[in-house]
Amino acid sequence: MHKYFQIFKISFQQEFAYRLNFVMWRARNVMQIILTFFLWNTVFYDPSREVFGYNKEKILTYVFGILVLRAIVLSARAVDMAGEIANGDITNYLLKPVSYFKYWFTRDIASKTLNLSFAGVEALILFLILKPNIFLQTDFLMIILFIVSVAIAVTLFFYILFLVNLVTFWMPENGWAAQFLFVVILTEFLSGGAFPIDILPPVLQHILYGLPFPYLLFFPLQVYLGKISGLAIARGILTGGLWIMVLAFLTRIIWPRGLKRYSAEGR
Amino acid sequence: MRGDILGLVEKAIIVDHLIKNFEVIERKPGLIGAIKSVFSPTKKTIHALKGISFTIQPGELVGFIGPNGAGKTTTLKILSGLLYPSSGFNQVLEYDPWEKKPEFLKQISLVMGQKNQLWWDLPAMETFELNREIYEIPKRNYEKNLEELVNLLEVGSLLRTQVRRLSLGQRMRLEIIAALLHGPKVLFLDEPTLGLDLVAQQKMRDFIYEYNRKTGATIILTSHNMNDLVDLARRVIVIDCGRILFDGALEELTSRFAKEKIIKLSLAKEDNIEKLATIGSIKKITFPQVILSVPRSAIAVAAAEILQNFPVNDLTIEEIPIEDIIRRVFKGGLKHA
Repeated sequence: MHKYFQIFKISFQQEFAYRLNFVMWRARNVMQIILTFFLWNTVFYDPSREVFGYNKEKILTYVFGILVLRAIVLSARAVDMAGEIANGDITNYLLKPVSYFKYWFTRDIASKTLNLSFAGVEALILFLILKPNIFLQTDFLMIILFIVSVAIAVTLFFYILFLVNLVTFWMPENGWAAQFLFVVILTEFLSGGAFPIDILPPVLQHILYGLPFPYLLFFPLQVYLGKISGLAIARGILTGGLWIMVLAFLTRIIWPRGLKRYSAEGR
Repeated sequence: MRGDILGLVEKAIIVDHLIKNFEVIERKPGLIGAIKSVFSPTKKTIHALKGISFTIQPGELVGFIGPNGAGKTTTLKILSGLLYPSSGFNQVLEYDPWEKKPEFLKQISLVMGQKNQLWWDLPAMETFELNREIYEIPKRNYEKNLEELVNLLEVGSLLRTQVRRLSLGQRMRLEIIAALLHGPKVLFLDEPTLGLDLVAQQKMRDFIYEYNRKTGATIILTSHNMNDLVDLARRVIVIDCGRILFDGALEELTSRFAKEKIIKLSLAKEDNIEKLATIGSIKKITFPQVILSVPRSAIAVAAAEILQNFPVNDLTIEEIPIEDIIRRVFKGGLKHA
């Protein structure tokens, strides 16, 4: 375990290597939150107005919740994997007694930790300035279930990202395309990142709940908001867990095949 | 060690009828060609290794030579477990490299001249610390190895500098340290002196020699640098077009591939000097010195003839310099020999 702790430490240092970059990126986050706030604040200038069953308080909580969850779940370093496979830098890890999967997972966790600690401070400041009407969950059990569903989301997203990046073994030039399709389009739209999933027609919703995507953002947020029943929570956690098992199985099959395709180029 | 006691030396590396084919998609030039290759890719099989076999004893320092694309690096990549062989057998320290067992990986290292493992934005020391944990090197060994390597390579003052701020030569030496901290028993060096200036090259060579002597590590070295091979490798394996053309002592390369020998003359008079051309091909005339190249089989006859018919002060018969032979190897000229 020591080796992964060391990887965690060095990733942290790496994140700080580009300080200006880091500051700019945090500033962008804050701007994004402020913009979103004023956008929805204007749309719902009349507090009694409801759109798709969402009033002002609910939509603001949703939007802020998604922003925070996005910072935890979707922020990942492992997007660099495709580049490493294509240009042969992955060689460095294949030569060492270290798991490439765990290596990137550790780097992701390091990145998320940093992200979260800064996001926490920023959120607090913004909260004090904007004083939005936001729902705060106080039920201890719900908070525990929320943390479990976030853990599932983080693992699920990492598996998706890892698998998508493996495409690079077969198509060194198209790794970014696969990533764009999956990560940007699919996860963005199907996870509830762009709009709440429950505004979709029930048939579509039904299909979506069978896929892994809603368990990335939408489901954890619903748990936090206490919008779904205990049974639905149990079903969601089970489905997410099942998807992790399916993706883990796929990874175990595809990873060794990718390695056989690997030609250690870039040299 | 076990082998020594029993009186038989186990092989460090065994390669038997190793074949590696790559499938590549051919790209046609130009925009239209690029679009065509998206819709109807033309696949082509490259036969990188066509069944090579050799064995290496523990502690040997072997040079791999051959022109570009001969299959040297492919062989090293298979032996370090990066590439999956198409067929054939290979074994390193009694492991199958492809399985990438941690116990195996902890005993080998592959250093590629143009590939870096040091974290670019951080001081080299951070990478060293990371490797210490990854290879699970006991703290005492780590400190001892680090101190030795730092002294041998004279990089004590560079450890705390961001890697991006170092020169290529400095970086290369730190790369070597990162690759050797775990004390590998088998070391694959792919062009270790590539891009280094003359002083740095010499330092690297001295280091490789010392490392091999001190630790008894088995080393395979590929290089396009003549001096690397002449200074370091007692045994060379010549690879070209995926086949082994020669495997033996460096000195034997000459007798094996040089079809000519050199006769050096010192003449008393300049008379009839052009008639020497009938005996061998004249390489150089700077009176009184003449250098002739004569077919190996005719060397005795030629020497006798010269002594009889020309006013010779001095005559020596020499082999073609090893450098000339190696140069021909790099050009891929041996298969025509």
